[in-house]
Amino acid sequence: MHVIMLFGVLLSSYLMVATKRISALIRTFRYQSLFLFMATFAVALKERQAELYAIAGLLLVIKVLAIPHFLYRIIKRIRPSEDLGLFINAQLSLACALSFTWLSWVFTSRLITPPGGTQGIMITVAFSVVLAGIFIMVSRMMALAQIIGLLVMENGLFLLASTVSGGMPFFVEIAIFFDVFVSVIIMGIFVYRINKLFTHIDVNKLSSLKG
Amino acid sequence: MKILIILLQTAFFIGTAPILSGLITKVKNNIRMRKGPSVLQPYYNLAKLFSKGEVVSDTASWIFRATPFMVISSSLAAAMLIPILVPSGSMYHMGDFLALIFILTLGRFFLALSGLDTGSSFGGMGSSREMFISSLAEPAACLVIFSLYLQFGATNISAFGGAGRLSVASLVAGIALFLVTIAETSRIPVDNQETHLELTMTHEAMVLEYSGRSLAMLEMASYIKQMIWFFLVAQIMFPVAMPASGDIAQLAFRTLWYFARILIIAAAVALVEISLAKMRLFRVADFLGFAFVLSIVATVCAILGV
Repeated sequence: MHVIMLFGVLLSSYLMVATKRISALIRTFRYQSLFLFMATFAVALKERQAELYAIAGLLLVIKVLAIPHFLYRIIKRIRPSEDLGLFINAQLSLACALSFTWLSWVFTSRLITPPGGTQGIMITVAFSVVLAGIFIMVSRMMALAQIIGLLVMENGLFLLASTVSGGMPFFVEIAIFFDVFVSVIIMGIFVYRINKLFTHIDVNKLSSLKG
Repeated sequence: MKILIILLQTAFFIGTAPILSGLITKVKNNIRMRKGPSVLQPYYNLAKLFSKGEVVSDTASWIFRATPFMVISSSLAAAMLIPILVPSGSMYHMGDFLALIFILTLGRFFLALSGLDTGSSFGGMGSSREMFISSLAEPAACLVIFSLYLQFGATNISAFGGAGRLSVASLVAGIALFLVTIAETSRIPVDNQETHLELTMTHEAMVLEYSGRSLAMLEMASYIKQMIWFFLVAQIMFPVAMPASGDIAQLAFRTLWYFARILIIAAAVALVEISLAKMRLFRVADFLGFAFVLSIVATVCAILGV
């Protein structure tokens, strides 16, 4: 069950890499967070720790409900064009994401001596989600995609932390959640200001002068 | 005896194939708060077409006349390869999943030729689109087969359902094959069966010149093909281990199980059709590219053994 949820996280990161529209990107981020929530909840049910239930609840409230809602509101406010602006087309992006997964598999098999098993798979998935997040940040023109890329990276890091060290201390976890939430709000306001100043949110054209 | 079982089984499969399209249309219409045609409408259409006369263009060659027979016989041959109710009673030892895909491709090849044959611009357009889509769908389907082979050690279709337990690799492979199925059965994100609007058709454009009995044969062939693809997805996604004994209770259970899982797939297809808009033709490349990525993931999962 847990492994299926992990593959849900991985596949939704592939979907995010392949998508061309901003609303689809946010919706898929919501699904990814939902899969992450279900994976955490499955672990919590198995281990019966109150802290894990709390973390799963925070995931549900902040990443599945609050952040996508906030991003949708920004979109509704500034009405950007639906097009994300791909530097690399969808097919090639998917190929890149696959090669990231392969790279992280190679890395994991060097890291862990017996490279099979659930832990190896979890670390591979976590690394490839982080790399997919970086890829979304780098290769998309629209400023909102940078926010979502960062959030995807954070999802991957959450997975990594929960596999490598068996979860961070509870207070650190809570602090991270609030940091993420606040940073999304700040970046959202930032995007809003960019839009007001430049009348677009294309990061490719930010350095050109406005006359 | 065995031949009789094979014939009966295939007849059952063919007889239940058109009802699937009727069901999908019914589900879609009910979601749209409409009444919709009867579930048996495909049968009425076939009966009507079989009783009508046929018009063939003067410029058409023998390919145009031979194509309906080629297409329907390839569909029938493919249907004989799959174990429907009695696993021992099919011709699965004559060909595996790969053979099935290539037999279906033979029918498609002739269909594309016949689209070009009459020289109408729609037919040529439909043929070129069909070839474009199939060239993208086939690699994904083949990789799905390889991942299943890695899991079960056989490419026989009866081997896939035998595990009794759904692994991650099977799940991902099933999703990939579902996307391929949507493309192969010309369902909505890829093609639209409901309209004859010239800009959107693929399959309908190729059969536009046919009428009467030939059209009935082509439609029947596409119903059978649709049933085959749904059955394959169902076989991968809902595996159940069944004892090989052939008493009546077993047979009844198999029949029920056959209908139940095909209905689940059909309902999923209807939901996909109702909730998505048709894609631009060049977005199909992304759609099937994603199916290809999924099938690679399935292969990797099968190698990892999860």
